[in-house]
Amino acid sequence: MRKAHRAASVIAAFCGSIFLLFLVAPIARLIGAGGADGLRHLFTDGELRSALALTALTATSATALAILGGTPLAYVLERRQFRGRSLLAALIDLPLLIPHPVAGIALLLVLGRRSLVGGTLLDLGIRVVGSPIGIVCAMLFVAAPLYVSATREAFARVDVRYEAVARSLGDPAWRAFRRVTLPLSARGLIAAGVVVWARAVSEFGAIVILTYNPKVASVLSYDRFTSYGLDEALPVAAVLALLAFVPLFALRALKASRGVYAGMMQ
Amino acid sequence: MIEAQGLGARVGLFELRDVSFVVPEGKYGVVIGAAGSGKTTLLETIAGIIPLTGGVLKLSGLDMSGVPPERRDAGIVYQHGYLFPHLSVEENVRYGARDAGFADAMAKRIGAAELYAREVRGLSGGERQLVAIARALAPKPRVLLLDEPFSALDPRRRTLVRREVRAIARELGITVLQVTHDFTEAGLLGDIAILLDQGRVLQSGPPERLFREPASPYIAEFLGAENVFAGEVRYLDDAAPELVDGAMELLARGQRAIEFRAGALTFYTVGDAPAGEGHAVIRAEEVLISAAPQSSSARNQFRGVVSEVATTGALTRVTVEISDAGSAGGARGKSAPIVAALTTRSAQELVLREGSDVWASFKAMAVHLC
Repeated sequence: MRKAHRAASVIAAFCGSIFLLFLVAPIARLIGAGGADGLRHLFTDGELRSALALTALTATSATALAILGGTPLAYVLERRQFRGRSLLAALIDLPLLIPHPVAGIALLLVLGRRSLVGGTLLDLGIRVVGSPIGIVCAMLFVAAPLYVSATREAFARVDVRYEAVARSLGDPAWRAFRRVTLPLSARGLIAAGVVVWARAVSEFGAIVILTYNPKVASVLSYDRFTSYGLDEALPVAAVLALLAFVPLFALRALKASRGVYAGMMQ
Repeated sequence: MIEAQGLGARVGLFELRDVSFVVPEGKYGVVIGAAGSGKTTLLETIAGIIPLTGGVLKLSGLDMSGVPPERRDAGIVYQHGYLFPHLSVEENVRYGARDAGFADAMAKRIGAAELYAREVRGLSGGERQLVAIARALAPKPRVLLLDEPFSALDPRRRTLVRREVRAIARELGITVLQVTHDFTEAGLLGDIAILLDQGRVLQSGPPERLFREPASPYIAEFLGAENVFAGEVRYLDDAAPELVDGAMELLARGQRAIEFRAGALTFYTVGDAPAGEGHAVIRAEEVLISAAPQSSSARNQFRGVVSEVATTGALTRVTVEISDAGSAGGARGKSAPIVAALTTRSAQELVLREGSDVWASFKAMAVHLC
C-alpha cells in the first residue's frame, strides 16, 4: 500500500515537473536568447520604442474604458435581480470564447469605414480602423469581459449587508457604494484592472485585423518575424516577455498586501 | 410606530406572507421564531432593504411604499455587526450621525466608546455588537431594528446593555423591533411580542398573553409550555362552580364551567372554549408540588410519582407520572406526565428525587384551552 502511494507520488511529481517545464521553458529560453539584445534595442531601435509607447498608451486607455463601463455593469449584474441577467452575463463573456481574429473581423464590420458607425465617425473626422482608436477598440473588446468577470467576483466578496447598513444610516445607494462597497472591493478592482491591462498588452489577433499600422509591440514582433526572420523578431519578443513581468509582480504584490478587508468577511 | 398590514416579501424561494402587527410609538416589540421563520427578512423588509411584494407598511404613520432605506429613519443592527472594516471604531460609530457629540454619548452609554482606540479587525463578536448598536443609535432614528443584537455578549454585559438600550429607546421615543430566540429576553423587553413561523405571524400581543394564552398547541409548545394535553372540552352547566377561584364572577361575565378530559386526566376550569376536541395548556410554573394534598378545593389535584428531577441553576423541573385520582380531578389508568417548575430551594426542601410520592396541583384558572 505504502509502495503504491510512493509510486503515485513519483508519477504526480514527474507529470507536474514536465508541465511546469512546458510553461516556463519557452519564456525562459526567449528571454535568455533575446533579453539582453532586446534591452539594448530599447536604446537604439526607435520603432520598438514607439511600438511600446503606443502599446502602453492604448492598453491604458482600454483599461480606463473597461473600468468606466465595466464597473457599473459588473455591479448591476452582481447586485440586482432582473429578468435576463444570466443571458446578459453570457453575452458579455462571448468575446472571450471567439478566436481573436474573428473578433477583429466582427469589429471591422461594425467600425469599418463602410459600416454605419465607422462611416459616421469618419464623417465626424474620427478614424477608427488603422488608427490608435482601432487598437483601443480591439483591446477593449477582448479584455473587457475579463474585467467584468473579475469585478463581479470582487463585488460578490463584499457582503450586501454592509451596504444595507450604510443605507439604513442615511446613505443613498451611490454614496453607500462610494463609502463602503468601493473601498472594500478596491483590491479586487485594481487586480481586475491589472489583468485587463496585461491582456490588452498581449493582444494581437483582433488588433492586426483592425489596425496593422501604427504598430503595437505584438504586431511589431510579428512583422519583424515575417519580414526579417527569427533573429530580428527575437529582441522585440523578449522585451514583450519581460514586460509581462510588470503586471505579474503587480498582482503578486497586491495579493501579498494586507488589505483592509483581509479576514473581515462576516 | 411600526404598522404592518398584510406585508409580503420574497427572498429566493422564501416568502413572508400576510404579516400584520402593530408596535405602538416608542414601544418595544420582539419577534420570536425558529431559525428560518423569516425574522431577519421581516426586519430587512421594514428597513427597505428587501422590497415589499404586498401589503402596507407605515413607520410613524407614514406609508413606506417606494421609500428607500436611507429615508426611512430606521436603523438596523445585525447579529454580526457588519462594522465597516476599512474605518476605525470611532468612524463606524459616527458614520450616519448628524451630531458627532451625540454619537460619542451613545457610544459611551452602550460601552463602545472605550473601544475607539481599537482596530475593528481586533474586536470580539460582543464588542462588534456594542459598536453596531452605538452606530445605529447615533443618527437618532425613529425606528430601531435589532437582529439578535446581544447574542455575543456575556450574560452580565447583556443585562446591562439590554437595560441601556431600553432606557435610550424610552428617552428618545424610538420604536424598537428586536429579533430574539430568548424567551426570557422577549418577556423582559417586549411590550409586544410577534411569533413568526414560516413567514407568517402565528400570534402577536403582549408577551405575557402569548406565554399564558397561546392560540394553538403548536405555539404553546414552541414557547416552551411543558404541559400541553389533547382532549375534549365539555360544559358543566350543573356542576359545582366552587372548583374554580372567582368562578361566580367569570360565570356572570358569560364564561362557562368546563371539564376537560385528556385521556385518564380530568381538569376543571372556566372559559369560553368551544365544546369538543381541544387542547389544554398549563405552564410548568403554575404547577405546585406538595407532599400532601392541598386543603383548598379550588384546585386540580393529582397524586403521582416523580420520574425526573432536572436542576438548572435556581430552577428545578420535576416530572410527575400521575398514578391516582386526586380530590378534585381524577386519573384513571395511564396518563401523560405533568411537569412542574419549582425553585431549586423548594425542591430541596421537599427532598424530591425519582420515585418520590407527591401531589401535583394547579388552579383551574391556570388551565388555558386552545
